[in-house]
Amino acid sequence: MASVVIATVALAVGVGVGYALRSRQHPAQPALTVPPPEARAQDLTRFAGAVTPVWSAQIDSSRTQMENAVGQLTETFAGIVENLDTVLTSSTGVLGEGQGGVFDRSRERLGEVVGTLDSALTGKREALAELHSLLSLNEELRQMSGEVTRIASQTNLLALNAAIEAQRIGEAGAAFGVVAGEVRQLADRSQNTSVRMVEKVDKVAQAIAGVLSTQEASAEHEGTAVAHAHGEVQAVLDDLMSMLSKMRESSQGLEQAAVGIRGEISESLVNLQFQDRVNQMLEHLRDNIGRFPDVAAAAASGVAPLDAQVLLDELASRYTMAEEHQAHQSGSAAKVNESEITFF
Amino acid sequence: MAKTILIVDDSASVRQVVSIALKGAGYEVITANDGKDALSKMTGVRIHLIISDVNMPNMDGITFVAEAKKLPAYKFVPIIMLTTESQDEKKKQAQAAGAKAWVTKPFQPEQMLSAVSKLVAP
Repeated sequence: MASVVIATVALAVGVGVGYALRSRQHPAQPALTVPPPEARAQDLTRFAGAVTPVWSAQIDSSRTQMENAVGQLTETFAGIVENLDTVLTSSTGVLGEGQGGVFDRSRERLGEVVGTLDSALTGKREALAELHSLLSLNEELRQMSGEVTRIASQTNLLALNAAIEAQRIGEAGAAFGVVAGEVRQLADRSQNTSVRMVEKVDKVAQAIAGVLSTQEASAEHEGTAVAHAHGEVQAVLDDLMSMLSKMRESSQGLEQAAVGIRGEISESLVNLQFQDRVNQMLEHLRDNIGRFPDVAAAAASGVAPLDAQVLLDELASRYTMAEEHQAHQSGSAAKVNESEITFF
Repeated sequence: MAKTILIVDDSASVRQVVSIALKGAGYEVITANDGKDALSKMTGVRIHLIISDVNMPNMDGITFVAEAKKLPAYKFVPIIMLTTESQDEKKKQAQAAGAKAWVTKPFQPEQMLSAVSKLVAP
């Protein structure tokens, strides 16, 4: 009897303490009527049938949205990378052409123009040198004419002396006097011709000197012009080279930036591989959730016990990634393993 | 003449990533969404190497490798499996079907290029 009382008191105390503890944890909850096991099983089946399609639909919606977004992102990035490649290729080609092609061709053409001017000037200077030679020859002719005048004068004097001697000897020297007179006439004509020659030679000398003066002035002017052209062409080529160098530097800077951007985008694209992995994980999860109503129904109908391990084992059998197995076993997020390469 | 590589993967992002890496190294690229799609694109072109995923809809990678190896033109074309799959059993199946290498995702482009260049030069 005493033991019954003690047990009753202990039960009452236990119930009271339990009620008090529950009241503190879940205050003011209405009392629930516990349905019979069959009804609970049917409730669970209905619950599973109602929630799992929504869960699956939400997972599928997430997968689709993520797949589309990442797909568009990778496509955009791929387009950027492709455009950068095109820009890099064309930039390198244009620069190569500019440095090695256009510049060399320009220098060659301008060199030909200046060379032509140089040749013309050289030709002119050679002609002037010939004219100088002509002037020297003309001077020699002048001297020779002077010599002829002197010879004629001496001949005239000799003829005069001969005529005087012929007259002095009388009748016998008459014929000789005629010859002496003829010789004097020839000497006079020679002297006159010589004087005219000297006049002509002087005129020729003046003409040559005139041409020389004009052409030498012209040649000097052209020489200055050609030298100036040389300087200008070199200056233009220097400017062109300087501009090309700056363009090259600028382009190299852009190229380096483009290569850097390309690398960063490629790196970002590599990181977007997560979509494929997450997609597969969600797919495995969705399929496993989809199996929940069947397992619940089997349990409700008494075909099989409601065993979580059944679903967990099925889920594990679908895993393809090592981190899925790790997360399953540890119950926490697992680190993604580095890529491995195996050759067969 | 650049070598042509066929990329088979149901993930558009993976196809893009592999394509960019290979094009950057001078290869020509053809892509397919799954094994069936790949087989339909393999006639009339000269393909020097194939990179294929394992888990794909319509036709999985291992079946695709086996089918590709039945084609006389592809008997000696090397195939690299690019997959998230970690099971050794699948790896053995791929080897038995005729694959030459097994690369796990996520991969670094340099690793992929290294594996590719061991089997075919650009």
